[in-house]
Amino acid sequence: MSEMANTDPEGIDAVRMTWNVWPRTKVEASACVIPLAVSIAPIRSHPDIPTLPYAPLRCKSCSSALNAFARVDFTAKIWICPFCYQRNHFPPHYAMISETNLPCELYPQYTTVQYSLQANPDPNNPSNVPQLPPVFVFVLDTCMIEEELGFVKSAMKQALGLLPEHALVGFVSFGTQAHVHELGFSDISKVYVFRGNKEISKEQVLEQLGLGSAGRRPTAGYPKGLQNGHSNTGVNRFLLPASDCEYTLNSLLDELQTDQWPVQPGNRASRCTGVALSVATGLLGACMPGTGARIIALVGGPCTEGPGTIVSKDLSEPVRSHKDLDKDAAPYFKKAVRFYDSLAKQLVSQGHVLDLFASALDQVGVAEMKVAVERTGGLVVLAESFGHSVFKGSFRRMFKDGEQSLGLCFNGLLEINCSKDIKIQGVIGPCTSLEKKGPNVSDTVIGEGSTSAWKMCGLDKSTCLTVLFDISSTERSNAPGTANSQLYLQFLTSYQDPEGKRMLRVTTLTRQWVDSAVSTEELVHGFDQEAAAVVMARVTSLKMEMEDVFDATRWLDRNLIRVCSKFGEYRKDDASSFTLNPCFSLFPQFMFNLRRSQFVQVFNNSPDETAYFRMLLNRENITNAAVMIQPSLISYSFNSLPQPALLDVASISADRILLLDAYFSIVIFHGMTIAQWRNMGYQSQPEHQAFSQLLQAPHVDAQMIIQERFPVPRLVVCDQHGSQARFLLAKLNPSATYNNSIDMTAGSDIIFTDDVSLQIFFEHLQKLAVQS
Amino acid sequence: MAAPVPPGAPRPGANARQQSPHPNFNPNFQTNPNSLADNMQNMNLNRPHSMPNSGPRPSPFGQPPPFPQSSVTAGFPVASPPMSRPGPPPGMVGRPAVIPAGPLQSTLPANVPPGRPVGLPVSHPPPFGSRPPPASLSSSTGGAVLPSSAFPSSGVSSAAAAPPPPVGAGALPGAPQFPPPAIVSQPPVGPPPSMMSARAPAQAPTMRSVLGSSAASSPQTPPLPSASSPFPAMTQARPPPPGSPYGPQTWSMQPQQGTQPSHIPGSTHAQPPRMFGMPQQALPNQAMTNIPPALGQPGAPMSGSSKIDPNQIPRPIPNATPIVYETRHGNSANPPPPATSDYIVRDTGNCSPRYMRCTINQIPCTGDLLTTSAMQLALLVQPMSLPHPSEDPIQVVDFGESGPVRCSRCKGYINPFMKFIDQGRKFICNLCGFTDDTPRDYHCNLGPDGRRRDADERPELCRGTVEFVASKEYMVRDPMPAVYFFLIDVSMNAVQTGATAAACSAINQVISDLPEGTRTQVGIATFDSTIHFYNLKRALQQPLMLIVPDIQDVYTPLETDVIVQLSECRQHLELLLENIPTMFQTSTTAESCFGAAIKAAFLAMKSTGGKLLVFQSVLPSVGIGALSSREAEGRTNISASEKEAHKLLQPADKILKTMAIEFAEYQVCVDVFVTTQTYVDIASISVIPRTTGGQVYYYYPFSAVSDPAKLYNDLRWNITRPQGFEAVMRVRCSQGIQVQDYSGNFCKRIPTDVDLAGIDCDKCILVTLKHDDKLQDGSECGFQCALLYTTVYGQRRIRVTNLSLPCTNMLSNLFRSADLDTQFTCFLKQAAIEIPTCPLLQVRDHVTNLCINILLSYRKFCATVSSTGQLILPEALKLLPLYTLALIKSRGLRNDGRIDDRSFWFNYVSSLSTPLAIPLVYPRMFAIHNVDTKDGDESVLPPTIPLSSEHVCDDGIYLLENGEDALIYFGSSVDSSILQQLFGFTSVDDVPTQFVMQQFSNPLSKNFNDVVNVIRQQRCSYLRFALCKKGDPSGMAFVSCMVEDKNANGPSYVEFLVHIHRQIQMKMS
Repeated sequence: MSEMANTDPEGIDAVRMTWNVWPRTKVEASACVIPLAVSIAPIRSHPDIPTLPYAPLRCKSCSSALNAFARVDFTAKIWICPFCYQRNHFPPHYAMISETNLPCELYPQYTTVQYSLQANPDPNNPSNVPQLPPVFVFVLDTCMIEEELGFVKSAMKQALGLLPEHALVGFVSFGTQAHVHELGFSDISKVYVFRGNKEISKEQVLEQLGLGSAGRRPTAGYPKGLQNGHSNTGVNRFLLPASDCEYTLNSLLDELQTDQWPVQPGNRASRCTGVALSVATGLLGACMPGTGARIIALVGGPCTEGPGTIVSKDLSEPVRSHKDLDKDAAPYFKKAVRFYDSLAKQLVSQGHVLDLFASALDQVGVAEMKVAVERTGGLVVLAESFGHSVFKGSFRRMFKDGEQSLGLCFNGLLEINCSKDIKIQGVIGPCTSLEKKGPNVSDTVIGEGSTSAWKMCGLDKSTCLTVLFDISSTERSNAPGTANSQLYLQFLTSYQDPEGKRMLRVTTLTRQWVDSAVSTEELVHGFDQEAAAVVMARVTSLKMEMEDVFDATRWLDRNLIRVCSKFGEYRKDDASSFTLNPCFSLFPQFMFNLRRSQFVQVFNNSPDETAYFRMLLNRENITNAAVMIQPSLISYSFNSLPQPALLDVASISADRILLLDAYFSIVIFHGMTIAQWRNMGYQSQPEHQAFSQLLQAPHVDAQMIIQERFPVPRLVVCDQHGSQARFLLAKLNPSATYNNSIDMTAGSDIIFTDDVSLQIFFEHLQKLAVQS
Repeated sequence: MAAPVPPGAPRPGANARQQSPHPNFNPNFQTNPNSLADNMQNMNLNRPHSMPNSGPRPSPFGQPPPFPQSSVTAGFPVASPPMSRPGPPPGMVGRPAVIPAGPLQSTLPANVPPGRPVGLPVSHPPPFGSRPPPASLSSSTGGAVLPSSAFPSSGVSSAAAAPPPPVGAGALPGAPQFPPPAIVSQPPVGPPPSMMSARAPAQAPTMRSVLGSSAASSPQTPPLPSASSPFPAMTQARPPPPGSPYGPQTWSMQPQQGTQPSHIPGSTHAQPPRMFGMPQQALPNQAMTNIPPALGQPGAPMSGSSKIDPNQIPRPIPNATPIVYETRHGNSANPPPPATSDYIVRDTGNCSPRYMRCTINQIPCTGDLLTTSAMQLALLVQPMSLPHPSEDPIQVVDFGESGPVRCSRCKGYINPFMKFIDQGRKFICNLCGFTDDTPRDYHCNLGPDGRRRDADERPELCRGTVEFVASKEYMVRDPMPAVYFFLIDVSMNAVQTGATAAACSAINQVISDLPEGTRTQVGIATFDSTIHFYNLKRALQQPLMLIVPDIQDVYTPLETDVIVQLSECRQHLELLLENIPTMFQTSTTAESCFGAAIKAAFLAMKSTGGKLLVFQSVLPSVGIGALSSREAEGRTNISASEKEAHKLLQPADKILKTMAIEFAEYQVCVDVFVTTQTYVDIASISVIPRTTGGQVYYYYPFSAVSDPAKLYNDLRWNITRPQGFEAVMRVRCSQGIQVQDYSGNFCKRIPTDVDLAGIDCDKCILVTLKHDDKLQDGSECGFQCALLYTTVYGQRRIRVTNLSLPCTNMLSNLFRSADLDTQFTCFLKQAAIEIPTCPLLQVRDHVTNLCINILLSYRKFCATVSSTGQLILPEALKLLPLYTLALIKSRGLRNDGRIDDRSFWFNYVSSLSTPLAIPLVYPRMFAIHNVDTKDGDESVLPPTIPLSSEHVCDDGIYLLENGEDALIYFGSSVDSSILQQLFGFTSVDDVPTQFVMQQFSNPLSKNFNDVVNVIRQQRCSYLRFALCKKGDPSGMAFVSCMVEDKNANGPSYVEFLVHIHRQIQMKMS
């Protein structure tokens, strides 16, 4: 991979595109097989991005922001919008503009700039910026064993300590019923109890919490009352600054018991996750319209009560599997999805986020809740236990400040402007379509489409969206007339940063149009195979979810063959003549691994896991997503520096340590000999310090990965032939199986599978690609 | 279970309790002795003798009941036996004849002749010739004859008339034409009936003296209450009552006292010896009252009436000392003493009349005969009634696993009237007549008298009332624990008026009175526009408030921990109750979700059942069963309100009723304490307590100054009185009679049984009967009430109450054996049932007609007087017109009452016991400005005064009480030193609007407090005091209680008699 060398392939713009030069026509574009897609991390930080303390100029016709690609007439004080060619006058405060005195946004290197917006600028006292306190509502499941509850309580207490002092905190616990804790009542602990088995509307929640119309502020904006220390909204009954309620909450947590409603033998605990979330949503809707807020749901099991139920209480009925979903034998699934879909709509309309921390050995309903989490841009973490490092680490990380901070932002709004012939099909990733129609909106929809604007209730530094484009053939006729050989894309992302400031980030991209009908040369060089693999994975996942009968493997194979047919060099019907340009050379392997990955081979996983994997696939950047598809393998041995190894069973060797990064899990695999040595304790003998270092090295590297990653991956340390080794073996190319293990060398390994190996896959691919 | 102790005064201890203090008994708490409660104990299984309260009483008194509630009888009108008149010496009452027609007064003594020999019951007196109306005086056999208007009124003396009787004067000036003497009595004619004639005026003086001096002899002098603050008082121990109250007095005294042998109900003959049981009654006594003919005449409308001496028309006479009453004598039923009198029952086969009494003590053999008499045939059943402390406790019989012996056909329980035959191998059911085999292990040979040899050793074969231990087959589940759930209104109004604080404080004090032990569980919740439960679990540092905000569709917020064992949560509970008023002090929630709150509380209690005690202060305005201010709507739409006024007395909708039925099904008994200053729609709210065996308490207008003490005492009595849970009751009758209907506070799901989620000693159920066949003359008709219930200590029991009455074919027997109190109570309850469904006018007419028809029947078929000029009243029912009049003028039947007052009234009536029914409409009035002038007699209560403004002086202070409320009336020129002594202020102008009893250190005040305490004790009620002064709006309340006066609500007593008489005359002709 050529880009591998590049440590920051995304650059200042945080953008990766499947094609860096675009074919002119729809026909050509579809011949390219791989869709035109842009993967962008809208608010990824980069040291070079300037922050401007003013609002951008907007084109009066298409409202795109002034950018480095605009043509400026300094004498006339006019700029021409690169998207619509509208001529715009500079306003008076740009009067000083000249070729030597450019505003930041016109510097060519600043294709991405950030504006700090002040919604209610106070001209007299600019420093007195009303800050929007972030709001955190914890929604805690109490249907779990004491031990688990203890873990989650201590995690929560820790989190409370990490919250910024001014952040507002609310607390909802639930079991059979949902309890909203009134934190601002000092005389006695006061809890509003909502029944678990009855769906409840936002209005009812407001009414019942005593926050009826009197307590509600109709206009979105700042909770002035709160900020001025007044309590006119009732907000402060339920949401208190962290500094004020930490004590109350801690003691409340101390007393919090597991759900007291009896559980019949042979039954699951009755858990009203759905109602608890609706209530929390309603509470936020009442209290903080328009401000950034997140619901942090800590769930220890499946919802069995009321709306959002995913399984009956009867333990003899297992939680739905992929097979059940396929056979339409999951009676609760659709209803639950509908419920969470409506919850998502409500959250989005309020601009609030749902984060889900699910920790249970069985499924908890992530598959159903996915829609609400993903549409609101929430975080999701799936762990086995609240005591597990995956949960503990991730949860702590979420509230960490400083270097480690996730940079959680709120209320994001993404708008995309693009050149005339370009149509937006949709976005895959954590956002919601705002249904804002426009001339550049395509009729065909992929993901969140039919719009040129998206809401991202929650977003952070690593949030990444995939925008899929289409070329409009109807515009084609005009194209020749325009001399323009460049296409422009502009991404405007406004959001509330963790400090509560309103920011707007503008990224403007330009790429070249090519006429691929003439030559594919330029096209080929503009191909980003890693991005393409990820986009294919995302599109495949989406299709698997959306389309009832979709044979993902087949679809991927067909597309891969088409790619190879189009871009490979070969003689017809001569498989051996097949060669592929280096720009494409890795792509088949990605596809091979994608076919074997959890994204396509869902039957090895529960629907919850699949949903979890897909959400992360969709929101991570290209590099990370590529790791999910094709894990990286590093080998450690005495003889050499750590080096990447082939993701093949052949990489296993008795005297090596392997470090596999499959994104969700990190496996440290000790070869047989290494394991024996370690068991004999050589590493603690001074004369074998090198061995100790060798053992240590993969751990250090693993920790580095773990530290950077959210959610925290699961670390598996295993030995060759140990039971945990399956975590590694499952990811390796089965070049050696029990079928062909005759030539097995000592210390190597085989995989018990009937899956085809990469080599066989390639053989077939070549054969098919060259077929006429 | 102590009875509520009046703040000021401790209740006299009951002897009962002393017996064996309950182990748990905590002297500190229990100090106040409540005799009543104690009494219960003896009897009541529920509470083992333990009654804690037993006060300091010294030694248990022997038989003489220490404080009988009965003492009550002394002195008040209400209860008084039908005796016709003033209390001439004993014998007189029923006695006919003797009274000379002559001059009134002098005659008095004459009346006296003791028992008449008359042999037979006279059913049909021989017709008398025409009685000369005027001059001759009507005499009727047995009847008391009122002089016609023409006569000088002198003839009639009123019983208790305090004021100097006009009588003395002899003839009133009024009517010259007639000879003065008109009064009274006729010589007896013939054999028949002894008549009571209207009485001799002469007596009046005597009476007075008698009454005045001896008046009621209520033995006890309750200790002085410390008084000032209500609560402290309670704790005090009360001093032992002075000497033995009753003992001495009983019989011997009577004669002297002059008060008649009071016990003797007029109707029954008075036996000289007071024993009730005496069979002799053969005497027919008909007391007849003659009304002057003039009344009847159209021509001379009222003029005549005015001439009747109001002092001489029939009035109740209290009796003073308890009598001993044997329920059966020889082998026949003994008619019971008046319900309001003081008596001690010896159960000799029939049940105590406290548990069950019949409107007529002989059962007509046919329905036609009953119809002819125009009387009602009904039973008033009060199965848990509080016994007299001197009575033997009800015996408990345990048949072991097999359960009590029952008739295999009708399922009647074994009782003394089942007849064993065939050497005891079989028995015949007295109810259905079926012959069953005697269970082998229950077999016993018969003695020569045909009774089982062991009959006297087996309570179920010799006692009218026994309790059987219920075996497994009587339980659908384990007996429920005693669950008490308190639900308190904390809406803005409730908090601001102090109602919330009063409720919390009352509950807090009453916690210690809850039954001890692990079976006692409590819960508490408050509500305004949401419902707040509290987790009282001990592990929590402080109670956790759980709010149920969905008041349209409620639920319980916790499965456990909302209702907790008392022993586990006492501290939390106390802390919480102290905090609640302040916690909601700043609440601005005006809404109140009563319906939703009780529903939610119900859900919390559903698994066990129990008592739900609700404190409500405002109109339930939101949530399930929300109500609107119908009253106001009614006012704005006047035309509709007139026509449809009674609609406002019906529940607004069915929601609460449906809920109530569900509550009853799950054994939740609801009591509602309405502490309000506004309209709360009691008509709707009351459906819940009525259906679940609870009751409504009404404090309007609520005063934070004077009401908390009553609230506390009411609550305390509510919790401590004898009671049972999850009860089912059925009445069985002998063949020929069947139960027509039940009415009272219960839920009926199948026609034959009533379900009582809760039943207590104060609840009374009216059981109307009808014939479905003929009965055999000379046989007996049996009634059996079986109450299956769970005691507060978790035992399942069946209380079986048996009554067997003779059957008769003689109409006159029916009149002779009519039970006035029971009949009237039956009227009252039926009128109360009609109130919500009929226009008032119709109800009043109906009541009047009931009275007229009975008198008409008597006049037509039984009276020995044929003159149309006389109103002849059966002796037994001679007070019926007075009570009927009082009923017509009562709060429930008046036009001018507030809707809520009337709703409360008829709800109150629905469960009202017989002894309290009469005072409700015909309250007792006492003068209290001179309570210190005792005549050396031991009775605490001063003589009662007729409810007529003639007897109310401007310089007097009067106390009027009806068992629930008490009015203190100040004349306009009361002596300021008396005021100062009694109330601490000196001028009538200073009369406050709110009143708290205080005791000052002077004899007047002390006596006044004593009087009040005696009354409280008698009534088992703390009484709600209101101060009234003449000329003030507050005075109107008092004036409207003067039922003998003519006022907007009806005619005067005399006018009413005239009216009745005229009606009878019209119907006769």
